[in-house]
Amino acid sequence: MIKYIVSALVFGAVAGYLVNNFLSGFPTTLIADQLFSVALIVALFVFGFSFGCDREAIRKMRQTGARIVVFPVLVALGSIVGGLVAGLILQLNVAGATAVGSGIGWYTLSGPLMEQLLGAEWGTLAFSANFLRELLTIVTIPLMVKLDKYAPIASGGGTTMDTTLPLIVRYCGKDTLITAFSNGLVLSLIAPFAVTAFASLV
Amino acid sequence: MADPLTLVYLTVPLVVGVVSGYLVRNRRQVKLEKPIVAIVVVLIFSLGFSIGSNSELLAALPQVGLQALVIAVLAIVFSVAFVMAGRKLVKA
Repeated sequence: MIKYIVSALVFGAVAGYLVNNFLSGFPTTLIADQLFSVALIVALFVFGFSFGCDREAIRKMRQTGARIVVFPVLVALGSIVGGLVAGLILQLNVAGATAVGSGIGWYTLSGPLMEQLLGAEWGTLAFSANFLRELLTIVTIPLMVKLDKYAPIASGGGTTMDTTLPLIVRYCGKDTLITAFSNGLVLSLIAPFAVTAFASLV
Repeated sequence: MADPLTLVYLTVPLVVGVVSGYLVRNRRQVKLEKPIVAIVVVLIFSLGFSIGSNSELLAALPQVGLQALVIAVLAIVFSVAFVMAGRKLVKA
């Protein structure tokens, strides 16, 4: 499975690069946005369906109560501390680096938001750091799941309700669907506030 | 994605999927393995495509790549460590 994923990612990136640079006039958003959204909606329906059919998954789900509340809080704290420690190591402005970490993987939000609040340089850093968080999560899921069943959900942060959800369900098990989705949902609500709060301390 | 509507349009197909799956659970066994792999491949391809066609991102990565990587790795490490520790504490 991971072979297909990495090949699809690489082929997609190469195709995107070629089309963008050599096929001017081709609407790249058709694939980057529209195809992505349609595939995501279909994926969510199919995952939901296969979860609904599965009695075992529903039985396991009953034990997830605490996770839905505890995980997003711990992941948000971990991202904030991670940004802070990185800021100290890299000798960056610590509040700024913490704000970058607070993006929790949501680069399409934290990039433009940081650019608006602190300028283009911080915007670029926030975009790149959170994009790399998503990319690293995608390629390390098979390894991380060996460490802990829920490690990929922690790693994915705000992306576990969309881009990384299919892989998490595949590797961590169908019963993690609701935990992963709600983790991403809650973190997507926290991220804009956390980024703004730390950016205001710079 | 910075749109509250996103949260709605992602939650609706999931909920509809779970409910309809639950309703047909006794009727027949549905094989979903292959369609799921196909959808995941399409999803990851279009994600790759949006990265490859994003000239700004490709131009920015070499400049801020190392700093971005350190922040990303540490954010992941602490998130995973906190969740693993939290799971032991509350037995979740």
